[in-house]
Amino acid sequence: MFRTTYNHLASLSLGLWLMGGVIFLLAVGSFTGGGAEGSSINDVPLFAWLGSAPLGQSWWLWGTIVLLAFLALNTVLCSIESLRLKYQRGTLLRLIAPQVMHLGFLLIVLAHLVSAYGGFKGAGGVMEGETIGLPGGGRVQVANIQAEPGPMGMPSDYSASVSMWEAGGVRTATVRPNHPVFYRGFGIYLKQVEVFPVRGAFIEVHREPGAGLALAGALLFTVGNIVLLAVRRGR
Amino acid sequence: MKLLLIASAALYLFGSFKRPLFCAGLLAELVYLALRGAALGRLPLVGPQDTLVFFSASIGLMAVPFLFSRALAGSDRFSWGGGSMAALFALLALPFPTLNMPLPPVLRTYWFELHVALAFFAYALFGIGALLGALFLARREKALLDLQYRSALVGYSFFSASMVSGGIWGYYAWGTYWLWTPKEFWTSILWLYYSLYLHVRLKGVQWERAVAWAGIAGFGVALFTYLGVSILMRSSHSF
Repeated sequence: MFRTTYNHLASLSLGLWLMGGVIFLLAVGSFTGGGAEGSSINDVPLFAWLGSAPLGQSWWLWGTIVLLAFLALNTVLCSIESLRLKYQRGTLLRLIAPQVMHLGFLLIVLAHLVSAYGGFKGAGGVMEGETIGLPGGGRVQVANIQAEPGPMGMPSDYSASVSMWEAGGVRTATVRPNHPVFYRGFGIYLKQVEVFPVRGAFIEVHREPGAGLALAGALLFTVGNIVLLAVRRGR
Repeated sequence: MKLLLIASAALYLFGSFKRPLFCAGLLAELVYLALRGAALGRLPLVGPQDTLVFFSASIGLMAVPFLFSRALAGSDRFSWGGGSMAALFALLALPFPTLNMPLPPVLRTYWFELHVALAFFAYALFGIGALLGALFLARREKALLDLQYRSALVGYSFFSASMVSGGIWGYYAWGTYWLWTPKEFWTSILWLYYSLYLHVRLKGVQWERAVAWAGIAGFGVALFTYLGVSILMRSSHSF
């Protein structure tokens, strides 16, 4: 009984069905209210959205999470089986490269889980000189809002300076598009500015606790992928 | 400049059964892209016109190693098929206007250029894989299926790297490496689809026809991810 269940959970066929299932549910999600553009799914951490969205909108995501959990288990078991069966055969790199990719995939799934649970997203407009408070007691003052006018009326670049209160004093840094400032685990993002009639900015504050795991997973996956390409060259 | 594009499409369409003419078509298209890039001061990767030309050139570029592979030596079907595919997307680009405005600040990063360029290299290799799958179904030569696997594996590697660079860019630009938009949904679907394809191959020789068909269908998923999402679905993340 245990052996049969284990063999089933570690089978390639189950992995294929699970991947097919996730593909199907994501395709459904892309067309439904929950996943379509304009949905509130991106405004709050994923588990907060799942807790508040009606089941009619979120069922595809519940289904995806369940299938992904089984796919993660299947990936672990398939990797163990592959290492066990092919241990005596082939070179180490050929044996290990796909398993490193599997590990990278698992870390990325874990990263999404961590961010879905412990993430934070906040946004709001501030006037120049105003201070915003962050969860946990951090304070950030936004000043020196600048915009360079572009040829078609849109700013070609913009920036603001932010002062952050820390234990040792006040730290000041410049925030601009693609250059956020990090403070007490939060990223501070400058999304938009206005310099007329008054100087103001639209600021977003994010916390992505899974970002480090996602990067580690992506690096592992990439390394495994490059090794796989190298060892399968000419085959 | 569009004359270069028309010349390229004509060379692909009418001359690609000869390898030197295929390469001439590719060269004309690369010169067109280089001139566009020089005029813009960046890689031309924004808007339907530039992306369709970049996609077409990617198909031409990625097809070159296959043109010289042993399994396809003496076969003009592959080079003509690849040339026709590249010509189709070059011709589709022609009616669209070129977008010459400066990039919004959030797009002015190498992560964006890397993300988009790698995605198009991947789409191109998935297209070549589809072509090789069709040739395998017609000729039943195992070497063609092996070539399809290689194109899919390299395409999958490019696509994975594109997703990684997109995630890093997204983290610095929007505060998250992942947003639930239709484009991201279909990006994940395409990545999972080719993960599925690469694993179906492990099922053995009795699955060869299914693998070939999966490689053909995969290009449909890639085209929907690139064009279908932008045309049929409302997404802030398009072209």
